[in-house]
Amino acid sequence: MSDALFQPYARSPLDPLDLAGQAVRPSPENGAWANEVRLLAYLTLRGDSADPAYARAVRTVCGLSLPDAGRYVSGVAGVLLWRSPNECLLLTSRRQAASLRVALVEAFAGLLAEVVDQSGGLTTVYLAGAEQVTVLRHMGGYDFGSLEPGQAIATVFGKTAAVVMRADAHGVHLIVRRSFAAYLWALLARSARPYAFTVGRLPAAGTDPVLCLQEGATVLDRQDRVAV
Amino acid sequence: MSGYRVSRPSQRIDRDQTVRFRFNGRDYSGFAGDTLASALIANGVTLLGRSFKYGRPRGIVGAGPEEPNALVQLEDGARTVPDVKATQIELYPGLSARSCSGWPSLALDLKSLLGRCGRFMPPGFYYKTFMAPVRAWPVYEKIIRKAAGFGTAPTANDPDFYDHLHHHVDVLVVGGGACGLWAALLAGRAGLKTLLVDDQNEAGGWLLSEASARIDGLAAIDWVASRRAELDALPNVAVLTRTTAFAHHDLNLVQAVERLQDHLPAEARRADQPRERLHRIRAGHVILAAGAIERPLVFGNNDLPGVLTAAAAQTYLNRYGVVVGRTILLLTHNDAAYDTARDLALAGSRVTVIDVRQRGAAPARHAAVIAAGATVLTGFGIAEVRGGNRVRAARLVRLDPLSLKATGKGPVLNADCVLSSGGLTATVHLYCHNGGRPLWDEERLSFVAPAGGRDDMCCVGAVAGYWGLGEALRQTHETLGAWLAARGLGAAGQAPQADDIPAAPTRRVFRIPDGRRPGAGAKAFVDFQNDVTAADIHIAVLENYRSVEHVKRYTALGFGTDQGKLSNINGFAIAAEALGKPIASVGTTTYRPAYTPVSFGALAGPHARETFDPERHTAMHARHVAAGAAFERVGQWMRPHYFPRPGEDLHAAVARECLAARQGVAVMDATTLGKIDVKGPDAREFLNRVYSNAWSKLEPGKCRYGLMLDENGMVMDDGVTACLADDHFHMTTTTGGAARVLSWLERWHQTEWPDLKVFFTSTTDHWCTTAVVGPKSRDVLMRLCSDIDFAMDAFKFMDWRDGTVAGLPARVFRISFSGEVAYEINVEASYGDYVWQSVLAAGKDFGITPYGTESMHVLRAEKGFIIVGQDSDGSMTPFDLGMAWAVGMKKPFSFLGRRSLTRSDTVRDDRKQLVGLLTDDPAAVLTEGAQLLSSPQVTIPADMRGHVTSSYFSAYLGRSIALAVVKGGAASGGETVYAWSGGQVTAARIVSSVFVDPQGERQHV
Repeated sequence: MSDALFQPYARSPLDPLDLAGQAVRPSPENGAWANEVRLLAYLTLRGDSADPAYARAVRTVCGLSLPDAGRYVSGVAGVLLWRSPNECLLLTSRRQAASLRVALVEAFAGLLAEVVDQSGGLTTVYLAGAEQVTVLRHMGGYDFGSLEPGQAIATVFGKTAAVVMRADAHGVHLIVRRSFAAYLWALLARSARPYAFTVGRLPAAGTDPVLCLQEGATVLDRQDRVAV
Repeated sequence: MSGYRVSRPSQRIDRDQTVRFRFNGRDYSGFAGDTLASALIANGVTLLGRSFKYGRPRGIVGAGPEEPNALVQLEDGARTVPDVKATQIELYPGLSARSCSGWPSLALDLKSLLGRCGRFMPPGFYYKTFMAPVRAWPVYEKIIRKAAGFGTAPTANDPDFYDHLHHHVDVLVVGGGACGLWAALLAGRAGLKTLLVDDQNEAGGWLLSEASARIDGLAAIDWVASRRAELDALPNVAVLTRTTAFAHHDLNLVQAVERLQDHLPAEARRADQPRERLHRIRAGHVILAAGAIERPLVFGNNDLPGVLTAAAAQTYLNRYGVVVGRTILLLTHNDAAYDTARDLALAGSRVTVIDVRQRGAAPARHAAVIAAGATVLTGFGIAEVRGGNRVRAARLVRLDPLSLKATGKGPVLNADCVLSSGGLTATVHLYCHNGGRPLWDEERLSFVAPAGGRDDMCCVGAVAGYWGLGEALRQTHETLGAWLAARGLGAAGQAPQADDIPAAPTRRVFRIPDGRRPGAGAKAFVDFQNDVTAADIHIAVLENYRSVEHVKRYTALGFGTDQGKLSNINGFAIAAEALGKPIASVGTTTYRPAYTPVSFGALAGPHARETFDPERHTAMHARHVAAGAAFERVGQWMRPHYFPRPGEDLHAAVARECLAARQGVAVMDATTLGKIDVKGPDAREFLNRVYSNAWSKLEPGKCRYGLMLDENGMVMDDGVTACLADDHFHMTTTTGGAARVLSWLERWHQTEWPDLKVFFTSTTDHWCTTAVVGPKSRDVLMRLCSDIDFAMDAFKFMDWRDGTVAGLPARVFRISFSGEVAYEINVEASYGDYVWQSVLAAGKDFGITPYGTESMHVLRAEKGFIIVGQDSDGSMTPFDLGMAWAVGMKKPFSFLGRRSLTRSDTVRDDRKQLVGLLTDDPAAVLTEGAQLLSSPQVTIPADMRGHVTSSYFSAYLGRSIALAVVKGGAASGGETVYAWSGGQVTAARIVSSVFVDPQGERQHV
């Protein structure tokens, strides 16, 4: 059967909740609102951050320096989050993902480093509103009030881990595993209930480095297999 | 006690807002700002309950969390709350409450008749009496539980919700009295992020009850309002009222519960707001300003309704405008209670102060009560209170001025209310929760928190033993000033000024002597809630309980919902006297959270209902739901259990699904298996060390099954790992073991073999896996994939290929958990729904059948494939499981568990070993977990050979099959064993564990 007959489509982890169908323009009465930033691409980069060759390879391909602990850096390639001394997470657009992967695999040749595609395994929830920090404080024990733009930390919400990344004062991004996404959403909606929570339409990307990565889902490039 | 209303300038009730409520089936009214207790006293209600052990009539004793008696059942139905203290219930329109105890009625209680035989119910009565016969205990238990007289938990689901809120603050102030307010203000003015919590409905603490106090020239209550306004204006300060700090943990984590809606009538409660909120506060520094609670003195019949603490009476008068009696006797050993006497006398009561001190109070206070119209008797105590269901009179006793003895009779005085003041007990609980030990202050006659606090905590005001308002504020100011200065946060400025009236020394007395030996006179209660008398403590000591912790447990002293707030010091003092030791060396019992009862709802918070536990969903979950799948939880994953067609039950569906997999083609969502990307130049060596078999020669494009053993040589996980490249592997784990295995790999890498260059990255969620199983599976795959050669010799069993499936990049593994030809298609999970639908469409012509975990289990059991955790239990080696083929004892480097495999115990022939079982009756399906016996004659103790681990009906074989572990099973083929379950014995023959295709030919086709 010819591959041309197939018409693959992608589903984001929270698509079954039909957030798009519920989304409204948030009003000031909505102390908290959220929505999913659908179908971004996620690449885990493994390598010793103290290895200059590894750092150089990342910078050459992504145009980004390795982030300091608990922080992220962003640029045209996307957002590079620190996860551990030998792990970073690159959030990028589906459009760029395949070529970035290929380039990273090539750049990592001969190094103790690798790139692992996590695009199917993660999603991002954008949380905004005047009570966004209060909602986070309901959900987890981290000092979310101290989280400033440029920071991205891993923490625990109830019984799931997540990364919380503050882009600006308007909102935060919560990065969570696909299989826990529905749980995280339920916990978020429950925690935000006292603040007139609603599903909000995502704003224009502006300077938010994550929102500007979102686009319509595209079929994976055949070159993806190069990373195997 | 015949309480009534008066109007007081200091009152915090709103007399313009009448509030109607119901208690024990009768209608009453009170005012906004009342507690249920204050409103009941104002309405003349004195009898609120029956005591725990003797069924004695009981009324209100205190005015706050210290209340031991007035436990009520609040409301009915789903919102009913048992055992709430009436002193802590804020009155709201329509409130309905009833007593928790009294049977058949509060007025006529059967237990009270038994209680009259109290001398035959000493401490340890239950332990001593209900020991035999053992079989009768369930009967005893029912009776004892009913007699305990506590409330009833709701049976309906809780209609409210609860949440948690985390705080990170520089300073947490516990207590909103004068000292707490001032401490918060100093911290707030210094710019520190400050949180103040107070358990009352408004800040002020004791100042709400003390009408005459003045601070900085202001009436104390005005000073409170002014300080509160200043706090509210500071952006870095938050104040939470109706919030009880109930626990202090390591690293200055304090838990506090805020009651957001309980003070509102049902119709005013907001559905979008939680009923209670649990605050989890991580504070850089805790300032404990928890104050103190007045304790009563111990004297005969001190539990009659109408006997209260003096402080409670003062609170009811000044805060709620309620006079607790018309003819009042006030027994005291200190000056402070004279203020209560003065206020009550001025309010119109006939007050007689009975001062155990020969010389009474300091002149100023003495003069004040005389001027107010009260009478003072010095050198007397109360021997016993008289009355039935309420106070009628009290018999006094003359006390020796020097030693604590009764030296003569005193008058019998009529009264409708008796108050007593045994001094203050510092509320040291939070200081002690985290290992702090309070200090005995002989002058103050209380255990107190040290004024110096500790590194992360300051203790200010009454909790540190500073009883006087002036001295407490000075100590607070000095403590905070020094603390702020040490941090370079500036000077604290002027301390608030309040005058302390000079006081005469307190007399050291806890139990008022009545001239009788312990136990001979009227019962003198120490702990009201658990009916512990002074005599009980003496008996416990006589029976050789030497530690106060043991005395507590033997007598139940301090065990109630009040946690001994009124009784502990008196109990310790009486125990010390009986032991002949100083109180300081007797010490206290251990203070543990929670300070006051906390609802399960608040503790659970958001971890309930839909967010109780994560339900992990695969990318195809919505399709399974739409297909009508029945689900089962595997770990946290929701996996399709089976896909019933209309009219089918589990067995019918599973039979159909299994036959499809054996005879045609079936499809399963296998996404939940754990997946770990293993990469690095030493990846292969690492696998050699963590798996029991060899990995050195596995080529790219090939897969291998591996057993992972723990250090003891026991199987802990299994799975298939594919070689992607010489330095790159795709490892799979069991569904429930994914996280554990990743941690295991990291642990060994980081702690023992950091020299190995390898990375482990979980990819469980990235890949979705669709298993296409059965003789027709190749045909289905060929319809979906054009760039993989599926010829038998080109794509062999245990190979994997990189290709394009339904237009998507995919990894296709030819592996099988059924013994049939099978392919597992792995694609990015975003396309899982699409691929699942594509497979169903491609297989439609072949009758492709979705199947769930139950059929998966049957198919694998037919082949004798184990499930780790079901056929193994952490005590099975690979040899026990008949899997010696998966152990490479000759590998050059050892592997985890290897050494243990040669221990004498692990090489025993009679270990439990995996076998197959075939029942004599092919229709009989053994019960999983059934014990296997050597003989059908069941004798005790039975000769247990092992147990059934897996048991199913195989539609393909037309009979039942089972897997079991049997002692020496490997050498017992053909032997008959007997499975015992539920009284039934079923004979079964030990056979090979492989029931279908023993040569393994089908999966190679």
